[in-house]
Amino acid sequence: MTQVQTPKIVKKKLFSPIWLLPIIALALGAWLGIKSIRESGIEVTIHFPSATGMDIGKTLVKYQGLTVGKVVDMSIDDTLQGVDVKVLMDYRSAPFINDGTKFWLVKPKATITGVEGLDTLFSGNYISILPGEGDSRSYFEAETKAPVITPGVEGLIVHIKSDKLGSLDVGSPIFYRQIPVGQVVGYHLEGTDDILVTAFVQQQYAELVKVDSQFWNVSGISVDASFSGIKVNSESLASILAGGISFSSNSHSSIAQNNHEFTLFENEEEALGGISFNLIGDGSESVSNNTSIVYRGIQIGQVVNKRLSDDGIILSAKINNLYQELLTDSAHFWLEGADISLSGIKHPERLITGSVINFIPGTGAARSSYPLLQHAPESTNNKKRLLTLSANSNPGVSSGAEIRYKKIKIGQVLSSQLSDDFNKVVYQAEIDADFVELVSSNSYFVTESAFELDASIEGVKVSTGDLNTLTNGALTLVRGTDKALAKEGDNLNVFASADDASAFFHQQGLISKRLIHQDAADLSPGSPVYYKKMQIGEVTQVNWQANDNNFAIDLAIEKAFASLLTERTVFWRNSALAINASLSGVEVDVAPLMGALKGGISLGLLDADRVSNGKNLYDNQFLALSQAQIITLSVPASARLAAKAPIRYLGHKVGEVETVTLTPNLKELTVTAYLYGEYAASFTQQDASYSIVDANISLAGITAPETILTGPYIEVFPGSSSAKASSFTAAIASAFHNIDNALVFNLSNNTLGSVKAGTAIFFRGVKIGQVDSYELSPQGTGVIMQAHIENKYKHLVNSTSVFWDLSGVKVDVGLFSGAQIETGSLETILAGGIGVATEMPTSSANQITNEQTFPLNKNLEPEWLNWAPKQEL
Amino acid sequence: MSNNNETATLGKDIGLTLCPTCHKVTCCKSEHCSRCDAPLIVRDYASIQKSWALLITAAILLFPANIYPITTLTNQGRVTQDTIFSGIAHLVKTDMIPIAIILFTASILVPILKIVGLSIYLSAITFKLPISKKKLMTGFHVIEWIGRWSMLDLFVISLTVAVVNMGQLLDAKPAPAATAFALVILLTQLAAKVIDTRLLWDRLEAKDDSSTNT
Repeated sequence: MTQVQTPKIVKKKLFSPIWLLPIIALALGAWLGIKSIRESGIEVTIHFPSATGMDIGKTLVKYQGLTVGKVVDMSIDDTLQGVDVKVLMDYRSAPFINDGTKFWLVKPKATITGVEGLDTLFSGNYISILPGEGDSRSYFEAETKAPVITPGVEGLIVHIKSDKLGSLDVGSPIFYRQIPVGQVVGYHLEGTDDILVTAFVQQQYAELVKVDSQFWNVSGISVDASFSGIKVNSESLASILAGGISFSSNSHSSIAQNNHEFTLFENEEEALGGISFNLIGDGSESVSNNTSIVYRGIQIGQVVNKRLSDDGIILSAKINNLYQELLTDSAHFWLEGADISLSGIKHPERLITGSVINFIPGTGAARSSYPLLQHAPESTNNKKRLLTLSANSNPGVSSGAEIRYKKIKIGQVLSSQLSDDFNKVVYQAEIDADFVELVSSNSYFVTESAFELDASIEGVKVSTGDLNTLTNGALTLVRGTDKALAKEGDNLNVFASADDASAFFHQQGLISKRLIHQDAADLSPGSPVYYKKMQIGEVTQVNWQANDNNFAIDLAIEKAFASLLTERTVFWRNSALAINASLSGVEVDVAPLMGALKGGISLGLLDADRVSNGKNLYDNQFLALSQAQIITLSVPASARLAAKAPIRYLGHKVGEVETVTLTPNLKELTVTAYLYGEYAASFTQQDASYSIVDANISLAGITAPETILTGPYIEVFPGSSSAKASSFTAAIASAFHNIDNALVFNLSNNTLGSVKAGTAIFFRGVKIGQVDSYELSPQGTGVIMQAHIENKYKHLVNSTSVFWDLSGVKVDVGLFSGAQIETGSLETILAGGIGVATEMPTSSANQITNEQTFPLNKNLEPEWLNWAPKQEL
Repeated sequence: MSNNNETATLGKDIGLTLCPTCHKVTCCKSEHCSRCDAPLIVRDYASIQKSWALLITAAILLFPANIYPITTLTNQGRVTQDTIFSGIAHLVKTDMIPIAIILFTASILVPILKIVGLSIYLSAITFKLPISKKKLMTGFHVIEWIGRWSMLDLFVISLTVAVVNMGQLLDAKPAPAATAFALVILLTQLAAKVIDTRLLWDRLEAKDDSSTNT
């Protein structure tokens, strides 16, 4: 250590590095100072209506939980209308404090859904800020309530329309399957009717909200108190107190966008009951909104709304989605209320809850509207047999009336109404399953009267039914003989009494027959129909037919006599007393008294080979049996024709005059006459000729002497036309009718002499023909006589024949020869006559052609009498 | 005061120096202490500068320490930031005067007094101010002794931060002023520590003595 110490050179430092320290500190301080000045914040004045709940230095301004400012001062504004709150905002919030920025006071809120920021609860109110767009400014008017949070990426904002707010409030939770997924962030009135609730759904659940999601209120407790018990339903404890909204999500639908609008339903049933349809009814007295639609006692839907329309009452109804497949084409809806009757009360709970709409599903596709029936449809219960009963009038049976058999109830009447044509009363009735076998297809029902008075000579019997019968009436089943059971919907008869029933069935056992007659023939319904004086039926009705001015008379003939109604059957009126007086005697026919009083119809059969025309009602038996046909004749008024005058053909009676009436112009008689059926066809040709035959007394004799007693008759000759007619004109004198192919020719003379129509033509004294008529020749130069030679003598006359007048007495007085008186027969003396002689035998060469004219010689040449040609037949 | 003059013979004048580490009196010539091998220095003139620098830094830091909040207290969600002074004011308001006095002394009075005291001390050395050496030394000792109590505030803070940590309900956190305040205390302590007190004696003794003597 003895080494020489080297000189130590100490360099004096002017500044120690330690001086950096204050410099750094200074720089740091300066920087901090500058920074603090820079970050001192922005002063903003917010005008509040009141300063309640705000403290200087304590009340903070927060944005999404982040404190961005602080109240630094408060002062009353100039107008004393509020307070100006001076807020020092964080310098970083400067870009957000613009025209659109909103400030509002948030009061701490402890709701059942949770304490909204425990900090707020203790730290007091704070001012919330919602940044906005626009120019920067520093004076703001505070919002009175929290604005709806603008949707951001954090979630979905939807609007839910409701008619009332209920217990919903800002903060009420939104549930999805009871998981809270969001909350109500605001609500306001939309117009005057709707409330628009704005809800926020968190981002992770936003996709659950579909465009067709249904929102419903789960607020509070839903208590469904009914006679069946009390059902309490609630979503969660929170929603009981704070209200809440739940919603459904259909996985197939598209996700709802922001601001999508939904409807808030009253409850889940209503929300999910998505299928709407209409019910159309006549009345809605017992239907109200919320009237349940019930199927087998389960509510499957309800009436939403009812309104009046042209078709009646339209009830808008909804059926729960759960049951939508039940809504089918053939579904039925009907009203059902409490049923109070003397037999008891059914569904007493409906007295309080109101009627329900009962429902029965069917098959097919759903329809948009259904009729609302007043009563259960027929197929409500398959076990019960539904029948349609019909009666002519309502015998005091109302719906609910019991149907009994041996006083045991076997069913009931469901409804009563008029049939479509208003002719009958139609009842719907059901027969209990146990008794279905009692009702056969020809069973019928008789009203059970509540009060029955049977007064007769033996005494008075009064019987009463039970009280139910008195009010509703009752029907008693009368079993039919048919083995086939009545089928569903079969139509059976109801009768007011057993008598009615038997009368009806009596009538049922009748055969109906319609007759046509030109007058009502004194007949009325009930007039008897006789066969051989035995009543076999009666007239059911008499109707006038406008189209042909005839009467249609309907008859009912008992079935037992059905065999009488054949094609040979004819009908005629029964006169009370028929006197058939003729030269052959007097026939008096007295109808049965009943028929005499009411008029009546008899029935008879034609002979086996004849066919009746079926429909005619004849005036008497004879006409009927002869199947007379009516003709009308126009006759000159001079004819002395009277009713019952016969119509004859060659003396044979073929018809009879029925009536004779003088026409108004007094020139003609209109004669209605019958032609007997078998001859009718022969004498109704258009050119058939009718003439009046009257007695003609002359020297030649008396023609038609019977007419002196019976009056003139009508002669008829058939025509040759094929056209038929029923009205003819009758001549006074009968024209010649070449009936048997007689030889017709003319005779001419300058005077008629004693020749008359009917003057006979004699051949060798034998009458072979006669003169039929005569007339003046057209020039007036002579007389033309039409004559004929009977067919069997035709060959005796030919063109070589000569004719001479045999009339009168020829007195030939000569001086020497004396007097020679030549006469013919007495008849010729009286009536005149014409002789004929033929020179040559008849051959084809000299045959008389039709209408050939021969001269009528005055005198007989003696030689003519010698002519005796041998005629060949 | 001849006694004083006699005894005022300086060690450096007689070639002796004191080991600052083990306080062994050693010969001036040696560079390292023969006992503890610590570097020996007769007089550290640079310590004045160091002390000044530290002191000035502390003085600068005194401002943020008092302006900025020293604690952030979250009480039931409400956040209150307290500066040292507002904390004391709060204590006064809540009628805790003794604690307020202690806190005021420790947190405001002491650091300020320390800085003022040290700056007087250093000024006395640097500018050879005519202040009694005895008074200066007494003051210096007081400063050195009391300086450590300034840490009370920081101690309270660190203890509170460690213990009170209940989230939003009640939470205390150190605020920026705490650091500054800690630095003020640290730097003043360092400033007091770094100074070579022998310089005071060297420079002032004669003059003071003479002044006292005369």
